[in-house]
Amino acid sequence: MQDNYRPKPGDRIFRPRRIKRNRLRRVLGIPALFSAGYGDVGSSIYYALGIVALVALGATPIVLAIAGVIYIFNALTYAEGSAMIPEAGGSASFARHGFNDMAGFIAGWALMLSYIVTMAISAYTIPPYLSYFWPILNEPAIGTLVSMGIIAFLMLINVLGVRESSRVNIFFIGIDITTQITLVVLGIVLILAVNPGVLFQNMFGAGNWPSTQNLIFGIAIAALCFTGVETVSQLAEETKEPAKRIPRAYILMIIAVLVLFAGISIVALSAMTPQLLGDPVNGWARDPVAGIAANLPSEALRDIFAPLVAVLAASILLTASNAGLMGISRLAFNLSSHHQLPAVLSRIHNRFRTPYIAIILFCLISLLVLTPGFFSANFFVDLGSLYVFGSLLCFALAHAAILALRMKKPELERPFKLRWNIMIKGRELPMTALLGLIATSGIWLVVVITQPYSRWVGAIWMVIGLIVYCIYRWKSHLPLTHLPKEPGEGGL
Amino acid sequence: MEFSKIVVPVTGTTADDEVVKLACQLAKKSKVKIWTVYVLTVKRSLPLDAEITPDVKKAEAILDHIATVAEDEGYEVETDLLQSREAGPTIVDEAVEREADLILMGVVYKRTFGQFSLGSVVPYVLRNAPCEVILYHQYTP
Repeated sequence: MQDNYRPKPGDRIFRPRRIKRNRLRRVLGIPALFSAGYGDVGSSIYYALGIVALVALGATPIVLAIAGVIYIFNALTYAEGSAMIPEAGGSASFARHGFNDMAGFIAGWALMLSYIVTMAISAYTIPPYLSYFWPILNEPAIGTLVSMGIIAFLMLINVLGVRESSRVNIFFIGIDITTQITLVVLGIVLILAVNPGVLFQNMFGAGNWPSTQNLIFGIAIAALCFTGVETVSQLAEETKEPAKRIPRAYILMIIAVLVLFAGISIVALSAMTPQLLGDPVNGWARDPVAGIAANLPSEALRDIFAPLVAVLAASILLTASNAGLMGISRLAFNLSSHHQLPAVLSRIHNRFRTPYIAIILFCLISLLVLTPGFFSANFFVDLGSLYVFGSLLCFALAHAAILALRMKKPELERPFKLRWNIMIKGRELPMTALLGLIATSGIWLVVVITQPYSRWVGAIWMVIGLIVYCIYRWKSHLPLTHLPKEPGEGGL
Repeated sequence: MEFSKIVVPVTGTTADDEVVKLACQLAKKSKVKIWTVYVLTVKRSLPLDAEITPDVKKAEAILDHIATVAEDEGYEVETDLLQSREAGPTIVDEAVEREADLILMGVVYKRTFGQFSLGSVVPYVLRNAPCEVILYHQYTP
């Protein structure tokens, strides 16, 4: 072997259980993790900014900042959890190890709702961006139909197992980050610096500040901006040296996301009023970044950035929607293999080698979720609040699970152990997880109390899931709250 | 050329037998260690450690056959089953981990859109291998 050889990165490799013997192989490095996680969260700015502005009006940058702090708590909790438990289940795994199978199922089922809505909302916001080229796509009914077609297309390619190109993904993400940075810089130089008072006016002027209820709901909705935390965790099992690389990828994501989101939201509110930014029919709520490009002061810049943003947004949102679908199918397989969902969901197609039943089922559910788009005026906000119902629940369970593991298993190896701990009953408990738990569960309660759509749809979803779980466990003669294996017994 | 460790990826094609025989012939000269590996690729819609029993059984059968071919040549090889997202990086990683001197791969004649094609795995290994690579092309009349 050459002395100057350096190992090349690739996917992690698994060595499966053989009749004789076998192995798994893992390879993902920080760039691949960052691009997968950023691809998820970076896509959300293309719709989340509009939904947040619809609710929080001029307070959009402030609610994003507050949600950003909660995001840091979430990312840190996931960093400790994923480094400690490098499995594909994310918060479902944390909850299963921290509590029991039922808690793991609740987290996983809530996460599935988030993934389904992420898929739907990403697909739903593609037509408004593409309406730059084909204005008819701006019609809500046409747009909803096209979104359903996009989901049907993704269902097909995922059942067939068409491989996505990671190089193409990384290319588009690179262009995306560059474009967003450029928009932020141009916005600051050409709009904000020229008229600094406009931002203050648009944030705090008469009629621009939201009610207290909307302010709190805005913080909740802003959680939409910070997807990607689970995506990186789901990739933990595929990462080489996960204990080192996962936390680094999270820290990189925190920096990139917060800087870009702060910049984009400030530029957006400098370029247009919050009412225009948050109007889903006549404004830019469904394509807020296109709104920024369309409001640049120079016609030459508008001619460059408007179509660029349209193409980038469509490609990144398509990738995000596909990532949501892959997340669902992996999670369904994971839950099914841990006897938390019926085995039919882990059935693999004989020819295509994909979990086709799970893919088809959850795509159909996503199509159902999109149906109100044909006739509901509040559909966009309702989608956002439904996402928040699922995501905040699973984030809260993730925080609780990390705290539970600190209490029950303090001796477990924690390659990335959170600092800033307080002592309770002789155990070190991280403040970020405690604060994260309080914040996420508190906001979740606010959403449940104040938002009837997400309250009822979310509750129905959870009840259906629990019924399926209980019936399946009863028929399988398994206890409902079966504890996971102790460390050293093939588990943690 | 002298080698001490050879990695032989097998795929269940007709080229495998000849490749393993060639590896055994190269190995006999100086007691070389041979690992034959089969890479199971898993789609991204499944977790990496998904147990796909039919594929594992098929892979085991291929590796058993390869072990038999090597035995017939009077040589003992180690067989291993790997599961990953892509075969190319897996083979390269295996060679790195084993500190192999040689990767010996077999290809069958394949046409894509009328053109002879090496696929995606062989070019990846040729570009990224940490050691020598010998490519055996199975002649098909």
